Amino acid sequence: MKTFEEKWTAWLDGELSGRDLAEFEASLPDKAVAEAEKEAAHKLGALLKEQLGAHAVAMRNEDFFSHQLRERIARESPLSREPAPEASTWWTVRRLLWTGAASLALFLICAVFVMREQNPGEQSQYLTQILSARVDPAVSPNATISMFETTQDKVTVLWVEGLQSLPADYAAK
Amino acid sequence: MQTEAPLAQVDVSELDLVKQCQAGRTEAFDQLVARYRTRVFAMIYNMVHNEQDAWDLAQESFIKAWKSIGRFRGRSSFYTWIYRIVMNVTIDWLRKKQIKGGGAEFDDAIELKEIEPASRTVPKADPLPHQRMERDEIRARIDRAIAQISPEHRAVILMKEIEDMQYHEIAEALGCSIGTVMSRLFYARKKLQNLLRDVYENI
Repeated sequence: MKTFEEKWTAWLDGELSGRDLAEFEASLPDKAVAEAEKEAAHKLGALLKEQLGAHAVAMRNEDFFSHQLRERIARESPLSREPAPEASTWWTVRRLLWTGAASLALFLICAVFVMREQNPGEQSQYLTQILSARVDPAVSPNATISMFETTQDKVTVLWVEGLQSLPADYAAK
Repeated sequence: MQTEAPLAQVDVSELDLVKQCQAGRTEAFDQLVARYRTRVFAMIYNMVHNEQDAWDLAQESFIKAWKSIGRFRGRSSFYTWIYRIVMNVTIDWLRKKQIKGGGAEFDDAIELKEIEPASRTVPKADPLPHQRMERDEIRARIDRAIAQISPEHRAVILMKEIEDMQYHEIAEALGCSIGTVMSRLFYARKKLQNLLRDVYENI
């Protein structure tokens, strides 16, 4: 407590005790006047309580008050209701950063995978044609294709069985 | 007049009611309103001195409480929390009214014509006509005196003297320090003592 006003208020309300009380009372120039002021303040408090307390101020139509309030809430909810902090703070900066980093990592993995898989310059056009032919069960229902590849020698052997016919373009070549 | 349960009794289930409100149950909020509407209305009425305005401001306060109850964490009592909303709404309204009225609200020019003393006082027993007149006159004197102090000072003295709130509860409700509360209380008391000395000395 610092100011005189604060000490005076605490003294009036009986909030001072022990050494604080003794020091404050010793600092009063006229204790009798101060005691009279204290008594006056208590009388004022009693008057206010008697005249202004909830018992003295009637709220008419309490039920209508609640009814009106219910209607307003029903009208304004749930659209106007502010969500709880848990719901509103899902997109925190930290979560956004983590989400962004995870998305970027996923993109990079996919990109590397696709780039490694795609090497059109080394793939034979015949392979594509035969594979196309195989996927048509009407043309070659029992066809099997096996591929053997040695990357060191740069050799690929394509073993095809059960083809009913070769693709027209292949035959022409 | 509805008799409201003492705080100590209602505290136990109050938190449950608040949790239900947070889950969106309006029936729970209805119960909280029933507990506090009379006190909230009385507090606002003592601040604004007009029944219709007090009604509207009490409605506004409860609507705000409903909308923001999701943010109530239970660090203070619901009672202190709702008072903070009530005080914000009421002081804000008084400030706006003061600006519109050119500052006439906090001096002797307050319009007591708006107040119907007989309508707001619930007699414990039917008083005699001269007793009623005397009581209404005292009430009008008090209202006039309170109208002369600022909204912040009104709030502090009403919460302390009528609601018996502790300094820290008032500070929490008003969003200021305990020292400020004590200082405001000092000046509000001094002002009202000067204005009402003859009233409380003669009854």
